[in-house]
Amino acid sequence: MRARGMWPRHAALLVVCAIMLVPFYWVVKTSLTGENIYAYPPRLLPQAPHLFNYVDVWYLIPFPRYLLNSVIVSLLAVGGNIVLNALAAYALTRAFPGRRWVVLLLLSCMLIPFQATIIPAYLITARLGLLNSWLGLALPMLSTIVCIFVFKAAFEAVPRSLIDAARMDGLGDLRILARVLLPLCKPAIATNVILSFIWSWNNFMWPLIVTRDPLMQTLPLGLARFLSYVEDTTGALYAFVVMVLVPGLAVFLMAQKEFMRGLTAGATKG
Amino acid sequence: MATLSLRRLRKTFGPVEVIPGVDLDVGDREFVVLVGPSGCGKSTILRMISGLEESSGGDILIDGAVVNQREPKDRDIAMVFQDYALYPHMTVAENMAFALRYRGVARAEIRSRVAHAAEVLDITALLARTPRQLSGGQRQRVAMGRAIVRDPKIFLFDEPLSNLDAKLRVQMRTEIRKLRTRVPTTTVYVTHDQVEAMTLADRIVILNRGRVEQIGTPEEVYETPATIFVAAFIGAPPMNLLRARLEGARVVLDDGTALPAPAHRHANRAVWLGVRPEDLVWRPPGTPAIGPLLHGTALTVEPLGAETLVLLEVAGQEISARLPPRSVRRAGEAVALAVDPARLHLFDHETGSRI
Repeated sequence: MRARGMWPRHAALLVVCAIMLVPFYWVVKTSLTGENIYAYPPRLLPQAPHLFNYVDVWYLIPFPRYLLNSVIVSLLAVGGNIVLNALAAYALTRAFPGRRWVVLLLLSCMLIPFQATIIPAYLITARLGLLNSWLGLALPMLSTIVCIFVFKAAFEAVPRSLIDAARMDGLGDLRILARVLLPLCKPAIATNVILSFIWSWNNFMWPLIVTRDPLMQTLPLGLARFLSYVEDTTGALYAFVVMVLVPGLAVFLMAQKEFMRGLTAGATKG
Repeated sequence: MATLSLRRLRKTFGPVEVIPGVDLDVGDREFVVLVGPSGCGKSTILRMISGLEESSGGDILIDGAVVNQREPKDRDIAMVFQDYALYPHMTVAENMAFALRYRGVARAEIRSRVAHAAEVLDITALLARTPRQLSGGQRQRVAMGRAIVRDPKIFLFDEPLSNLDAKLRVQMRTEIRKLRTRVPTTTVYVTHDQVEAMTLADRIVILNRGRVEQIGTPEEVYETPATIFVAAFIGAPPMNLLRARLEGARVVLDDGTALPAPAHRHANRAVWLGVRPEDLVWRPPGTPAIGPLLHGTALTVEPLGAETLVLLEVAGQEISARLPPRSVRRAGEAVALAVDPARLHLFDHETGSRI
């Protein structure tokens, strides 16, 4: 009865989903045909699809190397975010003098755009000798304030008595975090994974600044470089875009259920 | 097995002093219940004993050694929490074994201790389940099991039955009594339920606004309450307290009714006269009077089957009486009640202390 009453809403949602997916479908279709995207009338289905554009991308530029760089940098960012944000968030759930000010400071730092801090960030990275390295590429993204607050909200939702019980059981702070809080906050972990992965994966500005060696470039930089190599770019460009998008989509799809819960957690808590 | 002592134990939260100074000695294997209304500081005292809350002054001694500076894990105390505090991502067996794993206990030893505790608490069949697959009563058993496997010096219970429904609470109370005989360990138990306190305790500590009103066996606190607060807190329905004057060897109520004062209590002063509802004896109309009687009018009558609770107006004040079934039938009836002077309690009108 109820399901039957829902169909107009579902139909409307399906239409909206389809509209949202049209650009992505167009990218995939163009990558398989190389046809002019401005062709009129537009063709809905690909004509004589082929994978040559993908082969071109793979061989014309060091795509596997860019992919490796992007994967390593993103993994470092994801790992850094989980470890550092969880530690910071745990500290923020504990009482210490000046905690309010630390929270306010963190919140106000969120207002500063990354571009404004890019020069000091560059200088620090250079001083650490990390320019042109994977760690240097990941450094500014190892912890993000938004994700600290995602963890903080999740930790605060864990009943206080569980932490007390863990202390009575003999666990120190690090073990309470690792063995009690993190296993209970999987949605917050998933949110951290997805957000930090996507931000790192799509980052263009920072890799552009800290990489000198073309072999240290990441996929977004590779895309820019690729555009300067090829003449009839349409098909290959779109193939490249698909190849860049797929890993991010895969991570999102794997963690999306937990991700939704992580983003809405706290929203329903009084 | 251990003794526990609190010496001038204090706790302040900012400018607010919640525990002004508590002294208590708990003997080896003794079961002491801290009881009092919400906000009286009983859970705070328990948390200070456990080490989860820092004390603001005074000492906590376990087996004579001051443990104020010791971490909770180093005090050899196990605690059962009000909301059970079971780790939701672990099975019952893992929950019970968790603390032992961090104390370097051998795997075989852990298995045997968990199995033994599960057997004692009759939860062997639940060991592979997770807490969300358990009922409230089962969760409470697991929480106790987790404490038992530790084989600690002291057990602390923080209102362990208050999340259970009335029927289950009675059942679990019996379970805890059985557990006491099987696992005799020094225990401090916190509750706001005076029935729990009376039925479980070797000794009861009655707290009011962070102060100890009385420490004694259940019989002592019931029979000889030290203060008007204890008199009103212990017992259901609570003790009746009537404004009166002590005049020589008599206690005179507001309406002039005079009762003989309990022995050795003779003085002239304003007092509170205390009498338990069950110490009032119904005199059927027409019975020849032996000794003084209280005369009143029934305001409400609650027939409970085995007894009848009657709320009466006596000397312009309301009192309750626990009378035999079919004694008083309806509101408005005149009721005469006899009372044994030895069962009367007198409290100072100003201080509320027992005279």
